[in-house]
Amino acid sequence: MATSAKFDLDRGMVITGKWRHRRYRVERMLGEGANGKVYLVQQDSRLMALKVGLDTADLQSEINVLQALEKQQKKGNGGSPFLYDVDDLKLRSGKEYPFYVMRYVRGTKLPAFLAASGAEWFPLAGYNLLLRLADLHGSGWAFGDLKVDNVLVADYGRVELVDYGGVTAFGKSIRQFTEIYDRGYWNAGIRTSDAPYDLFSFAVLCVQLFEEKELYRLTAGTLPQNRGTAELLRLAQQSQQLKPFSGWLARAFAGGFRDAAEAADAWNVVIHRIGRPSKPVPWWTKALFLLSAAGLAASAFWLAGGFG
Amino acid sequence: MKQILLITDGCSNVGLSPVVAAAQAFSDGVTVNVVGVLDGGDIGEYGAKEIQEIAHAGGGMSRMVNTRQLSQTVQMMTRKTVVQTIQQAVQKELKSVLGGSGALEELPPEKRSEVVRVIDELGETSKLRVALLIDASASMKPKMAAVEEAIRDLMLSLQSRQGVSELSVFHFPGDKHGDDATLDLDWTTNLSGVQSLFPKLQMRGTTPTGPALQQVAQYYRESMEERRRGGEEDEMRSGYVG
Ligand SMILES: Nc1ncnc2c1ncn2[C@@H]1O[C@H](COP(=O)(O)OP(=O)(O)OP(=O)(O)O)[C@@H](O)[C@H]1O
Repeated sequence: MATSAKFDLDRGMVITGKWRHRRYRVERMLGEGANGKVYLVQQDSRLMALKVGLDTADLQSEINVLQALEKQQKKGNGGSPFLYDVDDLKLRSGKEYPFYVMRYVRGTKLPAFLAASGAEWFPLAGYNLLLRLADLHGSGWAFGDLKVDNVLVADYGRVELVDYGGVTAFGKSIRQFTEIYDRGYWNAGIRTSDAPYDLFSFAVLCVQLFEEKELYRLTAGTLPQNRGTAELLRLAQQSQQLKPFSGWLARAFAGGFRDAAEAADAWNVVIHRIGRPSKPVPWWTKALFLLSAAGLAASAFWLAGGFG
Repeated sequence: MKQILLITDGCSNVGLSPVVAAAQAFSDGVTVNVVGVLDGGDIGEYGAKEIQEIAHAGGGMSRMVNTRQLSQTVQMMTRKTVVQTIQQAVQKELKSVLGGSGALEELPPEKRSEVVRVIDELGETSKLRVALLIDASASMKPKMAAVEEAIRDLMLSLQSRQGVSELSVFHFPGDKHGDDATLDLDWTTNLSGVQSLFPKLQMRGTTPTGPALQQVAQYYRESMEERRRGGEEDEMRSGYVG
């Protein structure tokens, strides 16, 4: 339901907060969604991201989540601050909008990253994304609206999540979701927030990365009551890149991981299995093995003191 | 919290004005939302205007969508209405405490945080009832599968809330001659046992939107009275908002 924003902030414009009077210069728009627009801004030559909301209560609810997360992180490992400022801005038209300022996350979306760097980066990027989810799950939150638009990848497959509008404390109903990533849509469970909810979305995201056309065909052509995880899994098995992960994906679709930390460990096991390919063993290794086994037996015999 | 969600694809053509009926429902504390289902067909300027006005009079919102977007729209509207209903109640409180209009925007950002936390908490935990009123006139026939899917999807979202959520379903015009609307499903918290919501629907020509709305509002009143007589303590414990 895109109630698209009726405002635009132009490059070079200077925004002054109504309450705290901090000033930001607009560089360009980074993206827009159902809830507002995000701009790259500058303050004393520091780059930041500024999100302008369409609805004060909605945006505040998102800010509350960010503040709670930050508080938890400070108690823990003192993670870098994410939220810099919260205020309102007034446009020349006289209309006021709420905004908040957060850390600017450099990066591209996963499809572009993989296209540029190669699909061999997929397992690592996936692992890093699972670690990000694990941070949230460790604090009792699900990300909720995990989708391709909300994952940014920087160099070497470093991953950051953006758009915390869907983040939901475990046990409450997911605040915001996107149909194709939603387990309810696939007849695989309700929309109460828990860690497996995100892992389901993660698995759909994997399928989307490599079988996008087929996935859309599936959503367009299948009767709702026939929509199921078996179909998703079938797509995963078709893909060269996903095949090694099909066991992992099956478990994620079935809600079989406790949380993202456990899922990340299991993912890592698959990565290492790919690293050490279990190709058919050539005949000469077997011969070598037999030889050395024979040698070992001989030396054991010798060590044991021979027949004497 | 009480909502009526009207799903239609055209103009009312008999009986009381649906705008009046929606205004009446709103006075009774029931919010009326309206979805117009397009799908190639044209609702027409007049129909579109009526849909907007019904929602306006009913204190709710309206959207025009294709069947593909129906589930997501219904789910979002219901959720947004819950938040708005609570926001209005909270705003009234704030107004009496702080003066001014009580609008969130008037508070400095640090103060909003607490208010919104309360709104979110109530939105998740308070009791919710949604009565769906489905236009079953002839032109809706090809859209009924999507309507049923949207209803099941809504039930799923409601089940995911912490607060008790119930849903009921009506279609109009009613099956018996002269009936404005027929109840397909009484208040329920679960649809998994229901094979088909509209097993043998006869699609007819008239569209008595106003009288049908009135009937659903009446149904709300009756079930509230039943509750008052039956489980007064229940009601107190769960605490209706709005
Ligand atoms: N901190 C950030 N750094 C860089 N880019 C960002 C940042 N936050 C958001 N973006 C970009 O802006 C886009 C829109 O932001 P966001 O998703 O928060 O808006 P939204 O209205 O909540 O969208 P949605 O409809 O997906 O919920 C994102 O997809 C992302 O590309």
